[in-house]
Amino acid sequence: MAAAPKIPVEPSYRDIDRSVLRVMEPAGLAYWAWIGLCFTLVAIAAGFWVRQIYSGLGVTGLRQPVMWAIYITNFVFWVGIAHSGTLISAILFLFRTKWRTAVYRAAETMTIFAVATAALYPLIHLGRVWFFYWLLPYPNQRYLQPDFRSPLVWDAFAVSTYLTISALFWTMGLIPDVANAREAASGWRKKFYTLLAMGWQGTDRQWRHYSMAYLLMAGLATPLVLSVHSVVSWDFAMAINPGWHSTIFAPYFVAGAIFSGVAMVITLLIPMRRLLGIEDLLTEWHFDNLAKVVLLTSLVVSYAYLTEAFMVWYAGDPIEQMTFHMRYFGPWGWMYWVMVSCNCVIPLLLFSPRIRVNMRALWVITIFVNIGMWFERFVIIAGSLTANFEPSQWAGYRPSITEIMITVGSFAWFLGLFSLFSRFLPIISMTELKEGIVWLRKALKMDRVKAA
Amino acid sequence: MSTIAIISSFADETQCAQAIEELRAAQVGDFNTFSPIPSHKIEHAIGRSKSPVRWLVLAGGISGVLTGLAITIGTTYEWRLNAGGRPLLSWPPFIIICFELMVLLGGIFGFFGVLMLSGVPTTAMAPGYNGRFGEDRFGIVVRCEEAEAARVESMLKESGAEEVVREDGAQPR
Repeated sequence: MAAAPKIPVEPSYRDIDRSVLRVMEPAGLAYWAWIGLCFTLVAIAAGFWVRQIYSGLGVTGLRQPVMWAIYITNFVFWVGIAHSGTLISAILFLFRTKWRTAVYRAAETMTIFAVATAALYPLIHLGRVWFFYWLLPYPNQRYLQPDFRSPLVWDAFAVSTYLTISALFWTMGLIPDVANAREAASGWRKKFYTLLAMGWQGTDRQWRHYSMAYLLMAGLATPLVLSVHSVVSWDFAMAINPGWHSTIFAPYFVAGAIFSGVAMVITLLIPMRRLLGIEDLLTEWHFDNLAKVVLLTSLVVSYAYLTEAFMVWYAGDPIEQMTFHMRYFGPWGWMYWVMVSCNCVIPLLLFSPRIRVNMRALWVITIFVNIGMWFERFVIIAGSLTANFEPSQWAGYRPSITEIMITVGSFAWFLGLFSLFSRFLPIISMTELKEGIVWLRKALKMDRVKAA
Repeated sequence: MSTIAIISSFADETQCAQAIEELRAAQVGDFNTFSPIPSHKIEHAIGRSKSPVRWLVLAGGISGVLTGLAITIGTTYEWRLNAGGRPLLSWPPFIIICFELMVLLGGIFGFFGVLMLSGVPTTAMAPGYNGRFGEDRFGIVVRCEEAEAARVESMLKESGAEEVVREDGAQPR
C-alpha cells in the first residue's frame, strides 16, 4: 500500500471519513498471501483436531494428574485478551475517556475474535466433542440437568453471554459507520454495506434510541466483563487443589486479563497503523495512554503475585507451601521467573515517557507481556497440577505436537479473522472520532509540533 | 393546499440546533433531522423525552433474572440431590446464573429494541436523505404548507443553512 497522505492538522469530518474508508479499498497481493498463510495454518490445526477426535485425547500430552494444560491455558489466555476490548469500549465509554474513540473499534474487534478463539478450546478439550451441549441447560436422555453448582456450568453461561453481548455491542457501533461506507462504495461492496447498514440514515429518531441503548449496553457490559474473568478464575479457585484454591483469584485474574488484553491491543495496533496508513488517526497520544494502562495493570498484577505468596506463607498450610516452593524453584521454576520478568520487571520501563511513545520499544515490551501472561496461566494451571496432595501421584507434562499445532492454529485463526475485518469493515469508528474531533486535533497538533 | 418538503443542510451542529429551536418556536409544519453524529445539541433542541428503549432493557433484565431463577430452582426440584443435609437451593451459584441471564436478555432486548424503535432494517430512505448527512453535514427536512414555505426557507437561511431546496410532493413521515 502506498504511503497515506497526511491529514490536515485541523481535520474535518470529511478528512476522517476519507482516511478510514481508504483502508477499505481493495487490498494487494501481500495482504491475500498473509490471509492465505493464516488460514493454511488453521487448516493444518483443524487436521490435528480431527485426528484427536478420531483417536481420542491420548494423542495429547494430557496424563493423570495433569489433565488441564495447554488447551485450558489457551482458553484462559484468549478470554483474558478479550477483556481489554470491553474495558476500552464500555468502561472507558462510561468514564468519557477522550483517547478511546480511535482505538475502541480495533480493541472491540479483538475482543470478538479472541472470545471466538477461546470458545473453541473447551470444545477442543472434550474427548467426545459431540456432547458439548451437555453444559447447556438441556436435560440428557436420562433427564439429568446440568448441576448449577459447578463452575464449569457458570463458565458456559458467562462466556456465551460475553460473546453474545460483545457481538451485539460491536454490531451496534458498526451500523452508522457501515452506512457511511455504503455511501462511498460501489459494486458488490455497496450491496454488502447496504445490507449490513440495514437502512440506517442517522435521523434524530434513530440517534435518540441509539444513544440511550448504547449507554445502557455499556452499563451492562461493564459488570459483565468483570464477572466473566471472575467466573473463569473460579474454574480453578472452587477446586481444593493447592495453588488454585484461593480467594484472591477473581480480582487477580481480572487485573491480569486487562493487562494482557491492553498489551495485545498495542501489539496489534502498532503494525496495523503502519500497514494500513492510519498513523494520523492513531497518534502517539493514544499509545501513551494505552501504555499507561499496561503499566498500571502490571503493578496490580505484581502486587497480586506478592499477595499470593504472602497468603501462602501466612496461612501456614504445608501442602500449599510445598506447591509454591515447587512453583518458584521446582523443575518448572524457570517459567515462573520468565513470567515475573515479563509481567513485573520489563513493563517498569513504561515509567519513561519517551519509551511510552517509542513504537518499536513499546511493541517489544508488549510482546514480552503477552509471553509473560501466557506463562502465568500455564504455571497456575498445569504447574499446580503436577504436584498434588499425594506425592505418589506427582508427574510431569510434555505437550504433544497436536497441542502445539492447535495452539499455533488458534493464533493464526485470530490473526486471520482480525486481518480480514480490518480491510472490509471500518477498523476505526468514524462516528466516535467525529464526536471527539477536538481531541484528535489536539493530538495531531502535539504530534506535528514534536515532529517539527 | 399541498404539503411540500424543504431540505436544508448545515455545516455546523450549533447552527442546525438553533434552526430547530426557531422552527419549533414558530410552529411551522413538522420536521426531522439527519446528522453524522449523535448530537446532544440537536436532541436538546428537538426536546423529545428520553428513549423508551430503557424500559425494554429493564424488561429484558427482569425476564433474564426470572429465567435464571426458573431454571436453577426448577432443575434442583426436578432432581433433588441431598448433599450432606445442606439446603436444597444453593443461592450463591444461582445468583451467577441469574446475573448472566439478566445481562444477556437485557442486552438482546436493548439491541433489538433499538432496531425496532428506529425503524431498521428498512429499504426505504426518508425523504430528503442525502449521503453527505452521514459524512459531514447536518440536515433538516421540514414538511409544511406551500404558503409557509417562503417563511421557513428564510428562517433556515438566517440560521446559517448552506443550502435550502424544495422537494415538491414529498410524503409526510
